[in-house]
Amino acid sequence: MNTTTVALTDVGKSYGRADALSDVTLALRPGITGLLGPNGAGKTTMLRILATALAADRGTVEVLGSDPGTATGRTAVRRRLGYVPQETGFPRGFTAFSFLDYLAILKEWSDAETRHAEVRRVVELVDLTDVAPKRVSALSGGQRRRLVLAQAMIGQPDLLVLDEPTTGLDPAQRGRLRDVLGRAGESATVLISTHQTEDVAALCERVVVLDGGRVLFDGAVTDLVRQATGRVWMADDRHPAAQHAWRTGTGRVRNVGDPPPDAELIEPDLEDAYLLLVGDAAHDAGLEAVS
Amino acid sequence: MSTTWHVDATALASYAEGRCAPVVGASVEAHLMDCRECAAALRELLPHEPVERAWHAIRAHVEEPRPGFAERLMTRLGLSTETARLLGAVPAFRGAWLLGLFTVLVFAGFASLFAEDLGLALFLVVAPLVPVAGVAVSFGGDADPAHELVTVTPYSSLRLLLLRTTGVLATSVPVTVLLGLGLPGPAWLAVAWLTPALAGVSLTLALAPYVGTSTTAAVIGGTWSVAVLTANRLGDPVEVVEPLMQVLLAAVALVAAAAVLLRHSSLDLLGRHS
Repeated sequence: MNTTTVALTDVGKSYGRADALSDVTLALRPGITGLLGPNGAGKTTMLRILATALAADRGTVEVLGSDPGTATGRTAVRRRLGYVPQETGFPRGFTAFSFLDYLAILKEWSDAETRHAEVRRVVELVDLTDVAPKRVSALSGGQRRRLVLAQAMIGQPDLLVLDEPTTGLDPAQRGRLRDVLGRAGESATVLISTHQTEDVAALCERVVVLDGGRVLFDGAVTDLVRQATGRVWMADDRHPAAQHAWRTGTGRVRNVGDPPPDAELIEPDLEDAYLLLVGDAAHDAGLEAVS
Repeated sequence: MSTTWHVDATALASYAEGRCAPVVGASVEAHLMDCRECAAALRELLPHEPVERAWHAIRAHVEEPRPGFAERLMTRLGLSTETARLLGAVPAFRGAWLLGLFTVLVFAGFASLFAEDLGLALFLVVAPLVPVAGVAVSFGGDADPAHELVTVTPYSSLRLLLLRTTGVLATSVPVTVLLGLGLPGPAWLAVAWLTPALAGVSLTLALAPYVGTSTTAAVIGGTWSVAVLTANRLGDPVEVVEPLMQVLLAAVALVAAAAVLLRHSSLDLLGRHS
């Protein structure tokens, strides 16, 4: 399916004099797209705009055929949206089940029987059945994160906007989450913001990199990785020309940057490519500032 | 484990329909414990829908926890379980908050009875601020820990705000009026605090998206307290609820309420304060 479900055109958002987003143009289709970028890149602002929590200051936004700039458009989007914010609290005294029931009521599931069946479905989906009757305050950080994901899955939404959904999850939980999201991405449009490049590599066919409120890269994950070919090498020590270098478990140093002529080149991964992209952008910005 | 003999079809059918004699039923039950074939044959005979319904009911009983005290109380008072749950999510409808609220009110009521002007001033400070505080802990980013999640649901923000505000007023106004009836002085004093309360609630709601409910309520609380205590110092605390002040505060309440209704779409988004 190649239908565009989310379209941002020249979108901008400012907080005071600081631009959080500048002229962002982006089109999303069903499938899973990863959103990478350093802290302060504008990822959360962009996700909040797509999730209808914030309005853009400039440009046009179309989500699932509706304009979230209008009240009716927002409601239309919200009926088909699942959202995981970067951080959220929970009403005190609520159990995991009652928290999901609360959100399901707000998502207009008015019939108690079907609502409870849906809550049980999402509880099972994120593997929280055993703790559903427990108070949220008694759950671990990973369980709470899965609980937030569960509420996003209520009603099998057409658009999932997930801000760092894997934070705090152990590898087994992350694997389970990938399975859940992978299946959701077969029909829905899923946008995942994360600092975990391995999640993007494992789940996403497409990646968008934001930095300083601008889109640095938008394309296939393989295309981004390819950009780093010939720029990652192993050596016994850190090389002065490397933008990033770290000693690996083998005792040798992985260098990322512009290699010397005799470098022992290796295959780059997504993290290498991301570091190079952001590092090169910062370098170019520095040169522009000097000139 | 399977056995070599099986319950005959007629006996199994009468067992499934609950018509067999107790002795036969006990024998069939004992056999079913060990015989998978007969258990499978029985399942075919049983109507599926009631079984599934029973299974769902068992799961619901195990997995769906009993609502909290406040939610159960609201349901008993006639609210739907959904409304009770929406109200139960905010601090203003939890037991500890309600207990604290009533304690403060009773203290203010007794103070007004036994400490004359200063006591009356204390009552006039506290009474209008109780609903203001209730609203401050019921709506917006300060009060609702899941505010961002709630904001992006299709449920109308204005409806949620009105529901919670009505709930706050319903829990605080009747008790305060009853306490006010015991005040020394004219009977109208028992309800004279309602106009400043409405002005405070409306202002809190109108300004919440811009400065947050806690800050707004704190500023309103401070200003009102200074006004009442100053009036008390100058001679008569009741002056803050005299007719002219009532008109002025009613105008503030109306303007602020109109602002809330006109700009209700701003409630639909995360405010500057969120």
